[in-house]
Order: sequence, then structure tokens, then C-alpha cells
Amino acid sequence: MNAIEIRNLTKNFGQKQALAGLNMTVPQGAIYGFIGENGSGKSTTEKLICGLLVPSGGSIKLFGRDYKDPDVRAKIGVLIEQPGCFPNYSVWNNMMLQAANLDIPNAAEEVRKVLRVVHMDGSASNKYKNCSLGMKQRIGIAMALLGKPALLILDEPINGLDADGMRIMRDVLVDITKEYRCTVVISSHILGELEKIATHYGIVRGGKMIKEMTAEELEADCRTFVALQTKDMEMARALLERKYSRVTLENEYIRIYDDVKAEEVVAYLYHELGIAVTEVRTDKIGLEEYYIDLMNKGVC
Amino acid sequence: MQPTFEKQSFWKKLKSMLKVDFKRMFTMPLVYIMAGVSLALPILILVMTSTMGGADTNTGADAAGMFTNVWQAISSVSGGNAGMAMDLTTMCNMNLMYFMLAVLVCVFTADDFRSGYAKNLFTVRPKKIDYVCSKTVVLFAGGAIMMIAFFIGAMLGGAIGGLPFTMEGFHAGNLVACLFAKIFLVAVFVAIFFTFSVVAKQRTWLSILLSCGVGAFLFMMIPMMTPLNANFIHVIMTLAGGGLFAAGLGAVSCVILNKTSLV
Repeated sequence: MNAIEIRNLTKNFGQKQALAGLNMTVPQGAIYGFIGENGSGKSTTEKLICGLLVPSGGSIKLFGRDYKDPDVRAKIGVLIEQPGCFPNYSVWNNMMLQAANLDIPNAAEEVRKVLRVVHMDGSASNKYKNCSLGMKQRIGIAMALLGKPALLILDEPINGLDADGMRIMRDVLVDITKEYRCTVVISSHILGELEKIATHYGIVRGGKMIKEMTAEELEADCRTFVALQTKDMEMARALLERKYSRVTLENEYIRIYDDVKAEEVVAYLYHELGIAVTEVRTDKIGLEEYYIDLMNKGVC
Repeated sequence: MQPTFEKQSFWKKLKSMLKVDFKRMFTMPLVYIMAGVSLALPILILVMTSTMGGADTNTGADAAGMFTNVWQAISSVSGGNAGMAMDLTTMCNMNLMYFMLAVLVCVFTADDFRSGYAKNLFTVRPKKIDYVCSKTVVLFAGGAIMMIAFFIGAMLGGAIGGLPFTMEGFHAGNLVACLFAKIFLVAVFVAIFFTFSVVAKQRTWLSILLSCGVGAFLFMMIPMMTPLNANFIHVIMTLAGGGLFAAGLGAVSCVILNKTSLV
């Protein structure tokens, strides 16, 4: 059974169509990276799943049931935009309030546990309004984890965080996926971070799902290339372009996307043309490059 | 592993919702500020009008529609044009609390939407009826506290200002019935103001504007519903009115919450 199954979902805001027949399938237990440009419909889709917006058309099923089913919805944890907290309450009191909403037995123990998971156990007495952005995001995740959710929806949890905040957040997300074993949908622009944890991906554009795939499929889809540096990059590039069909200069490296071994390229440059290679490696394009390629309608 | 979904009963959800709302109501300063103002307002009105020579405390003679009796701060005796006259005693009595109630209802409800708490709540609670029921009950309790605070303030203000406590045209039983009727009438106004708050969501100014506008329209009807010489019928009428308005407008609020975007 799929955790989320969306068919032909549409949402109009007046004349503007935010979602134009979006289809989405999130298998149970997946960590689903939900990717798309600003305004592509990610947040709208997430808000529709959570019942915060009313769809214009289409269907949403959660664990095989209608998304309005109260029994299912009680098992959803959400962080969309900012966490819903009262600024003058302490972190602890905000958490206890949400625990009471969910009617969680042993609320104090559960709150302590989720705060530990998000590395916030030492800041429970802080007033929410005095917390940093990173702390607020982690509080939002802790709140979403209350009641052991079967489905966790996190909208841009990494955005706006500094490098340290991002590292902590990544650790938190990894811990969550290990400890809670729930289905997680994460939307983010920071694809490098997403790539480290996601098992499935959905790429949305203009309110439509343009591609859904597993991490394995992405791996298989992503092109391998030989990246090299020489003392005379321009000359080497011009010469390589004569022999290979797909040669580019990216990030101060010459990349050859043809099916070729690194040693062959090095030998060709040195023996045939007398150009010494200073650095060479074989690599694969990452999610970010794959995504950019897809957005540019290139072939991966 | 297949997740298990526990059956969510209405009463269970309502119980937890009430727990949260009562906790919120009594841990935020708003209700204490409103109760404090409700207590201070009649003291100020009665002390100021009596010391400014509004009434002759020896003869009880009325001067320019000023307070001549403590009970005028609660309501007026029905009959003739009592309660309909636009003087200080009818404008500055307990009925003012219904306007202040608008502030309590609108600020308390808008806070849910502004803080994002409503977002948390409605994600896990797709049915809005428990939210509407809980809010109505809690805000009714808050309104009742304001009414009681005003009554205490009126007693204190009357004592400080030296106004007579004589009951003319009504007796203690009528006064108790009047107070109960006024408290039950709170439910009618809570239902109206809460519906506007749901429409306006985080826009507190809009909900207060709508509430005060409709409040002003209904203001003239309050003295007729809750006169000082009120009896059992007035209590039953306001109780039934409160129940009907709460149920009817509660259903409207549920529909609004279900049909409109919550963020």
C-alpha cells in the first residue's frame, strides 16, 4: 500500500492554476524528496495533503483511505513554513499543548523524547520567540514527531539555515528516519542535502509531476563522466572535442560524458598531443545537476 | 510495517481540545486584562459620576441621566421606554461587556491562526466541530468571568461612590435572574463573534470591526432581554437563544472552516 496516492490533483487560486492535474505516489516507508522550483506547486500539494487547503479537483488517498479520514490524519506530522507555536510560551509549553491536542498519554515523557531527537532537550525552557531559526525548525519537527506519526511532511526544513544548522538538521533527519521508520516527504531546494537521505524523488514543474523515481533509478539515470584538469585547459578542451562528442567545461574541470575510461583520455592527451593531465577522476552527476538538466529539458 | 490507526471519538477529541483551550485561556494575559478592565470600568464610572455630582445621594434625584442607583450599572427595569433612552445609565452599564467580549473572542481566535496553531491543529483534526464546540465553551466561560467581574466592580464602585443599593420595581430574585440572563446571552454573542473570527481568521481588525458592527445593531435589544426585573422566562429565553445561536452559528463556522483555506 502507498502512503500517499494523488491522482489528477488541481488547485486554482482565482484565475491562477497552482496545480494542473498532479499525480504523486509515495510508497510506504519512503523518504520522498519533493523537488521543484519556487511556485511549482510543492507547498500547495503539501498543504492539500494536510487539509489546510481545499482542492479544486482530483483525489488524495493516505494509506489507502480518503485524506479527510480523521483516524489517518491523527497520524500525520507536519512542518509547513513556520511551526505553529505561541511566541510567548516556552518551547516545553508549546510542545505540551500539541501533545494535549493529540491526547498523548505520558505526554511529558514523549515531549522529552522528541526534543532529544531534534537536539533541543537543553533548550526546552527557552521562550519560543527567543529561539533561532534553526531551533524553531527543529521545534517544528519535534512537534511533527509527537504521537509517532506514520507520515511526516516537512516543507523546506533546511532552507534559511547556516552551515552548522544544516548539519544539525541533516543529523536530525537521519536520526528520525532510523528511529521512527515513518514515511517522510521532504521538499527542499538544497538538493545536495536531500540526496544524502532520500530513497525516492518526485520532480514537479508548473503544477505537474514531471518525474518520479527511486534513488536507484536516479543513480542509473545519472551519467558518468571523466573530469580532468590540465595546465592548458582551453587547448585540451579543443583537442578533446575533436575526439569525443560530449565535452564540457564545468567548475574548472573538463568533463567528457562519452563512454570512455579516464586512463584512455590521459593517454590520448599525453601520448598523442603531449599535454600532461594534473588531475583526473571518474564521477557521476548528482541530483542537483540531474535536476538542472531535466529543467533545461536535457537528457540525463 | 503497516501503521495502525486508532479510532478518534468525538468526545475524546473534544475533551483534549477543551483541556488545551482552557489551559490557553488561563495562561494568556488577555483574559486577566479583560477581567481587570471589567472590574475597573464600573468602579470608575460609578465613582466618577457620583463624585462629579451626577446624583444627589441623599434624595436619589437623577441629574442629567446620571446614575442614581447601583443597580442601574447592571441593567434597567423594563416598562415604558426604560432601557431605550440614550443616556449614560443605559449606555454605560453591564451591556458594554458585550462589546468587550468581541475583543476577547476575536483576539483569542485570531491568535490561533496568526501563530500557526490552527495549522497544527487542523492537520491532525480534519473535523472542525470539536474546535468550534471547545472555543464556544471556553469563550463563554471567559465572557461569564467578565460579567461577574463587572458585577463585583459595580458593587465596589457603588459602595465607594456612596450610591444607594435600594431595589425599586424589582427584588433580589429578579436581580439573580437578570444576571443569569446576561450570562446566558454571552453565548449568543460568543457564537456571533466567533463566526466573524472564523471568517476573518488572522485579521483581528476585521473580526473586531464586524463583531462591533453587529454588536451595535443588537445593543438596543439587550435591555429588553435582560431587564433588572427579569424572571424565569428571561432566563429560559436567553438560555435557549444561547444554545440555538451556538448550535446554528457553530455549524456555519464548521462549514466556513471546511470550505475555506486555513493558511
